[in-house]
Amino acid sequence: MEYLYSQDPIIACSTGNSSNSAIAVIRLSGFDNFKDIENFFSLKNENLKPRYAHFCKLVFNKKVIDEVVITYFNKPHSYNGENILEISVHGNVLNVEKIINLFIKNSNFRRAFPGEFSYRALRNQKLTLPQVEGLDLLLNANSNFSLEQGYSLLNGQLQNDYQDLYKKFLRHKSSVELSIDFFEDIGEEAANQQFLESLKDLKLSVDKIVSHSNNTGVNLLNPEITLVGLPNAGKSSLFNKMLKDSRAIVSNIAGTTRDFITENILIGDVSYRLTDTAGIRTTKDIIESAGIERALKLLTTSFYKILLINPYEVVEEYFLNFKDINFDLIIFTHNDKDEFEFKKEELINSLSSKGLNFGPTEPKVSGPIGAKNNGPIEPERIGPIGANLLNGDDKFLDVVFDNINAKYLSFIKNQPILLTRHQDVINKLSLLVKDYSSLAENEGDISIISSELNGIGHCISELIGIVSPDDVLHNIFNNFCIGK
Amino acid sequence: MKREFDIIIVGGGHAGVEAAHIASQFSSLEVAVITLPGVGLASAPCNPAIGGVGKGQVVRELDALGGLIGKLADKAGIQYRTLNDSKGYAVQSTRVQIDKTKYSIFAEEELSKISNVSVLREKVNGLVKTESGFEVDTDKWSYRTKRIIFTVGTFLNGKMHVGEEQTIGGRYNTESSNSLSSFFKNIKTTSARFKTGTPARLDKNTIDYTVLDEQPSDSSVRNFHAFHDFNKRNLDQVSCYLARTNEKTMQVIRDNKEKSPMYNGQIKGVGARYCPSIEDKANRYPDKNVHHVFVEPEGLDLDTVYPSGISTSLPKEAQYEFVNSIVGLEKAEILVYGYAVEYDVIDTTLLSYSLEHQEIPGLYFAGQVNGTSGYEEAAAQGFIAGVNAALDILGRTPFVLRRTNSYIGVMIEDLISNTRDEPYRLFTARNENRLYVREDNSVLRMYEARKSLGFDAHIDLYNEFFVENYNNLYELLENYFVNPSDKFLQQEGIKVPRRLSMAEVLKMANLDPVMTLEKFINFCNLNVPRETLRCLAISIKYSGYINKAETQNKKIDKLDELKIDWQIIMESENVSFECKQRISKIKPSTFGQLKIIDGIRPATLAIVASKTL
Repeated sequence: MEYLYSQDPIIACSTGNSSNSAIAVIRLSGFDNFKDIENFFSLKNENLKPRYAHFCKLVFNKKVIDEVVITYFNKPHSYNGENILEISVHGNVLNVEKIINLFIKNSNFRRAFPGEFSYRALRNQKLTLPQVEGLDLLLNANSNFSLEQGYSLLNGQLQNDYQDLYKKFLRHKSSVELSIDFFEDIGEEAANQQFLESLKDLKLSVDKIVSHSNNTGVNLLNPEITLVGLPNAGKSSLFNKMLKDSRAIVSNIAGTTRDFITENILIGDVSYRLTDTAGIRTTKDIIESAGIERALKLLTTSFYKILLINPYEVVEEYFLNFKDINFDLIIFTHNDKDEFEFKKEELINSLSSKGLNFGPTEPKVSGPIGAKNNGPIEPERIGPIGANLLNGDDKFLDVVFDNINAKYLSFIKNQPILLTRHQDVINKLSLLVKDYSSLAENEGDISIISSELNGIGHCISELIGIVSPDDVLHNIFNNFCIGK
Repeated sequence: MKREFDIIIVGGGHAGVEAAHIASQFSSLEVAVITLPGVGLASAPCNPAIGGVGKGQVVRELDALGGLIGKLADKAGIQYRTLNDSKGYAVQSTRVQIDKTKYSIFAEEELSKISNVSVLREKVNGLVKTESGFEVDTDKWSYRTKRIIFTVGTFLNGKMHVGEEQTIGGRYNTESSNSLSSFFKNIKTTSARFKTGTPARLDKNTIDYTVLDEQPSDSSVRNFHAFHDFNKRNLDQVSCYLARTNEKTMQVIRDNKEKSPMYNGQIKGVGARYCPSIEDKANRYPDKNVHHVFVEPEGLDLDTVYPSGISTSLPKEAQYEFVNSIVGLEKAEILVYGYAVEYDVIDTTLLSYSLEHQEIPGLYFAGQVNGTSGYEEAAAQGFIAGVNAALDILGRTPFVLRRTNSYIGVMIEDLISNTRDEPYRLFTARNENRLYVREDNSVLRMYEARKSLGFDAHIDLYNEFFVENYNNLYELLENYFVNPSDKFLQQEGIKVPRRLSMAEVLKMANLDPVMTLEKFINFCNLNVPRETLRCLAISIKYSGYINKAETQNKKIDKLDELKIDWQIIMESENVSFECKQRISKIKPSTFGQLKIIDGIRPATLAIVASKTL
């Protein structure tokens, strides 16, 4: 946390800088005067107009490094209340690094710590704590939804919800104080009634927030779609097909292990990570491989799970690994081969009796779909996929995409609370309130009840970010991305 | 006749008396109380009671600090009660009804015993700040003093209302101290005027007590003063009675709404929401017609009773009509009509922890003029102002009580940190450490603070003895182990799961710690003062919860105690103008104080915290 004290001028790339792009924005913050860095530019101080974009050259030792657009925000009228210079440079990663290093080596700038720009905004009162968190969410947003939640934090929407909880808490706390300080005025009975009613309200309000807090373990900020199945079941065919048909393909992402292949795809407005758990080569590998462990682990946090089955090549032990998984989609492939229906039924019966959950086996989709060299795929839908599906590639994938999108929308309708810090606090709060309720029923000593209630009060303040700024600050700024 | 004093106290109410009493314990100082002729010292113009929830704690804190109020309350006490008796030890408070005439006489007696205190019955006409202190002009003489403490109650620009009748003055049948206003021109008061009211006083011989609920004095309640026997009373004990308003009562009040100065705009002052007049009750809660009326005797020899809960400023006829509509009060005669009084209060955010005015060094304020209500609050401020004025003359460090271990500390910090928009009263709710800041352990909590004054009085020996006893016995209970088959446990039918220390036994749920410890001490044939035993049993009972709360609060407390330099915050470009305005006014010296200032934004706290960490 040493940077919390430091007033040094800082520099960082404010746009994503892990890959090449047309333009990158480098931000410099906290310098005393543009004059200090005037020499790096072909533009002179007297010609610099705050909040105007200036085209000029970035120079060093009389050599032009890059042609840039600079925008100067003088304090306190900047995002974080300090002097800020934004330099739009050509977005080659090496170019960006070169320019940042130029400033670090030849002036008093140092590289910004993660979240430091925003921290300074907080320190300079440009943002409140929940707003900084909202900003974090916004800049990390992978989908419209998290964009929305980012905005709602910045607008204080979520904060309003919390304040409502706070109000309920205050009401209950007041009822406790009422029965201690004012029992003569309102009488024992009325005080008790107040106490019980407000406790009920408080519990309801906490339950509501808990249900909003996304505690399924699924990461909705960066939802995953996972394909599992034996080799030759059609995983990579489906994988490639989904990539091809989805609206955008984002750059290659290294898989978590070399066995898995992951790509970003866009369905609806949401960016998903699509993972093919490929790479398992032999039957022996399949059953014993650590790959199963990894696949299972991935599945538990996956948003949408697809199991592919080739009824002509079955290793039952393999499927039984997934007994506890509820797949969103199970696809039987190779439905153009002989006796497909029979094979499929036989397999469903056999695996069902051993505990694999197929869900509703109607309605079905049949008919050949898929790319040239792959056998036709027949999706067997578990869950609410539409019934009257037609054959053909696009139609099939449309149904799958619609289903994924529908599931996502139904998830976010609940407004899950995304920030881990909030989730932690909400979980803690939920436990505290539970303990407290049973204490309130059994304890006759109101001072003990009220002392325990104070713990809940601290917890609620933590959610709103007021009472213990040190804890919260540490937590946030440790989990922050660079250069905002 | 002395003309020069070290400390002059203007006002002989509860604050003034307490201030004089403690200041005079510094024997080298000459102290004077100047009070209006015709008014008794420490008179009780409102409820004739000392103590109550939160306030009983203050009285015992003052007693452990060597204050006077507890002693006076005991000597004049005519009915004792423990409030919140059934709700747990930590929130129990003692309240004593007093004989208000005798209370005043005892106060007079106590001060007259002190050789370095003079009580002057004069009217203060003017005040001038001089190089070395102040010059005080009265209707008789002129005096010089190094420090001056203002405890003028409701007399600052006071105005009384009974119906349409308005009189200048701070109280029934007393002169006003208006002529001081020229001096007070230079002292900032709060923007709001405050208002307080009293009910009509009734003739106690015209009340039918047989139809009211009797509340007798509780003979088991411990006296306030350390040197008084545990529960032996000085005066005969009498009862209070509970009456109730009804539909008719409230209808009379509602019908007369336009004649009430509070509702027709005649009174502009702000009353306390926690102490509403009967007009407020009637008009704010139109559905509620039954309100409690506590009929409290004002003294053994006085004919008046105080019907608590129906304070009013209605015209006289209306007062009669609604009082007589109450069951039991049908034939009640009114001896003194209820009235409301409006008064100015000074801006306490300009005071320091010593209650010294930061713009006029040497000038202290205490009591109702600071916007508080209640004799106990006044007395506590009087104590703080008195002791600090004395320490200041002697060049010693100020006496400051922390909010974490006393109600007095809570009150002082609350007062100087914020402007109040209604009269301030202590509630236990204002205290963050309620399980620890209790009546029974006031000696434990105040012992060190009192010791720091360096006196060698009786109370100092008492405190020392108390703490020593407490510590020894605590150690004993922690090291005395009992088996399930132990004779004492068998005798009392106490079942324990395994071998436990006696301290652990006392913590067991469903076991009254005080009774159990009493029996155990008897069983061991030990002789321990009852108050020590009680304090110990309750402390042990709560120790687990107190530790838990402490861990919870630790981080916050630690942060709260951080010293901050408000002037550096003022220089920061990063703090908003609005926050700066508030900070410059309050001049907070710790993070905790900064935190409780109204309207300080979280971001300001974050900035200050991050810079102080």
